[in-house]
Amino acid sequence: MTRLQRSRALRMLCTLATVAALVVVMFPVYAVVVASFESTETLFSGNYYWLPHAATLDNYRTVIQAQSGNVLTSLIVGTGTAALALVVAVPAAYALAKYQLRVTVVIVSSLLICQIVPSIVLATSLFIVFHWIHFVNTYPGLIIADGTYAIPFAILVLRAFFFSLPNEVMQASRVDGASEWQTFYRIVVPLARSAVITVAVFAFLNGWGDFIFALTVLNGTNIVPITLGIYTYLGNYSTQWGAVMAAAAFAMVPAAVMLVVAQRYIANGLTAGSVVG
Amino acid sequence: MNRQRGALAAGTAIAGSGARGGGAARLSAWRRRQLAGWLFLTPAILYMLFAFALPIIYNVMLSFEQTSPATIADITAPYAGLANYRFILDDPTSRTAIVHTFEFTAGSLVGQFIIGFALALLFTLRFPGRTLGRSLIIVPWLLPLIVTGVIFKFLFQLEGGAVNQLLMDVGLVHHAIDWLDDPKLALPTVLIANIWLGVPFFTLLLYSALQDVPVEVKEAALMDGAGPWQRLRMVIVPMILPVIEVTFLLGFVFTVKVFDLVIALTGGGPANATQLITTWSYNLSFEEFNFGQGAALNNVLLVLAMICSPLYLFLSRGSLRSSAGGGR
Repeated sequence: MTRLQRSRALRMLCTLATVAALVVVMFPVYAVVVASFESTETLFSGNYYWLPHAATLDNYRTVIQAQSGNVLTSLIVGTGTAALALVVAVPAAYALAKYQLRVTVVIVSSLLICQIVPSIVLATSLFIVFHWIHFVNTYPGLIIADGTYAIPFAILVLRAFFFSLPNEVMQASRVDGASEWQTFYRIVVPLARSAVITVAVFAFLNGWGDFIFALTVLNGTNIVPITLGIYTYLGNYSTQWGAVMAAAAFAMVPAAVMLVVAQRYIANGLTAGSVVG
Repeated sequence: MNRQRGALAAGTAIAGSGARGGGAARLSAWRRRQLAGWLFLTPAILYMLFAFALPIIYNVMLSFEQTSPATIADITAPYAGLANYRFILDDPTSRTAIVHTFEFTAGSLVGQFIIGFALALLFTLRFPGRTLGRSLIIVPWLLPLIVTGVIFKFLFQLEGGAVNQLLMDVGLVHHAIDWLDDPKLALPTVLIANIWLGVPFFTLLLYSALQDVPVEVKEAALMDGAGPWQRLRMVIVPMILPVIEVTFLLGFVFTVKVFDLVIALTGGGPANATQLITTWSYNLSFEEFNFGQGAALNNVLLVLAMICSPLYLFLSRGSLRSSAGGGR
């Protein structure tokens, strides 16, 4: 084989490896979509059909009837989590990056440690504390709890971004007579737009996909996010697969939308949030 | 830097009588700026106190209390000494849950690292499809965990599951395998799902680290006559070691927390074969309403997760230092 042939064969091998990896990654998603259109008879026939078999919209009819309200609930929770994360994280990240406060090192260390705390630890205590202040089964309670995924991450990502902002930008604004708040609100936030969007996207996905806090700080009656809706379909012996899969397809929609619309922000966020050093 | 400049301004204000007015004005400008910084930080401090510090402290208090369904309405319950911790040490399920958590975490990290690093290396090469591969590889990371759990429960079903169907179609097995209901197979099956879930994280972090290895370094190694394997082991891995360390650390922290996936796949069963600290703690607190026992087990988990925190802070020292220096 010539050198050229060898490198061509090597490239082909790489492409094949990538295709194989993508099949493994995407097949479960494909399987959900296919199963969501299958009839109950097909799903319980004891055979797995690789391609759609006798497609029906029955599952979607069931799920739209039963879960529409839950999808709306999840939208509210996701949006609320994103809003809370922005309100808390954007100013804090700015302060931690651009104001040399005596507490900066302490706060940043605490944020790194907050990322480590397992949610079940928070959930157990928050349930009783919320019970005490009548926050159980409320949107504010759930959103505050869901913020624990998003907020430490958001502050660290935004802070890394604010470091890259030249100090001259703020100084120019101050020389123009703008107050600290005006400088932040009119100059800094618009410049940080892309980082702010990254953080909002992640906070939304956190609120939308949360299950553990929905399971613990809600009592499952009037506020039911889609994740909890899916869980209640799972019986030990009598899982309604059609309905489960149609609901799961709904729950995947934001991830799909984000992947198409906000791909750049997602890749940014994944790497920025983790390698802080 | 601002602080130094402020101190300097204050110094000149005291020393030079002529510059006193201007120095004082600058000093107050520095104070105003400090105040603004504190105000910007206030919501975050309040949030961290309420959503992190309070639950962690309260969890410690709970673990020393004699709780019962009747005490949930009260914020405190009678003091119980070490009874809850003694229960955790004697309870066979708690002990298995701790062992499973270690096995599950170790297995996940090894699997995720090997596959993630292989894919990261693959994506550094130039070939058709690498961009598509890189952008779709993050899909598992974006799905709600409960959805991932449900999907794998569906795919690993005994009858009509895609995995069994594939194995039987290919002829590898003749009878369907009971992946999720066989106590010996359940934990490995949950492990497979978790590896699927965590590979994108390893791939992306290691890929971005590999991108930062300068081409000259790789070329120099090539000139020395190093083969691909030697180049990887002697040059590339040492260069990206800090990122590998952080990735493992965060992977560890993510894995000891896993809850949703197991609840959806097996609920901790069969016969506690997949019971982890998180799922058993949930069971103690929210199914049996023994919040004190749940809190004691939570603290075991918290200590386990926190073992990493000094190392994590050390590896993240760059980000701590840049705060003091102002800019990277």
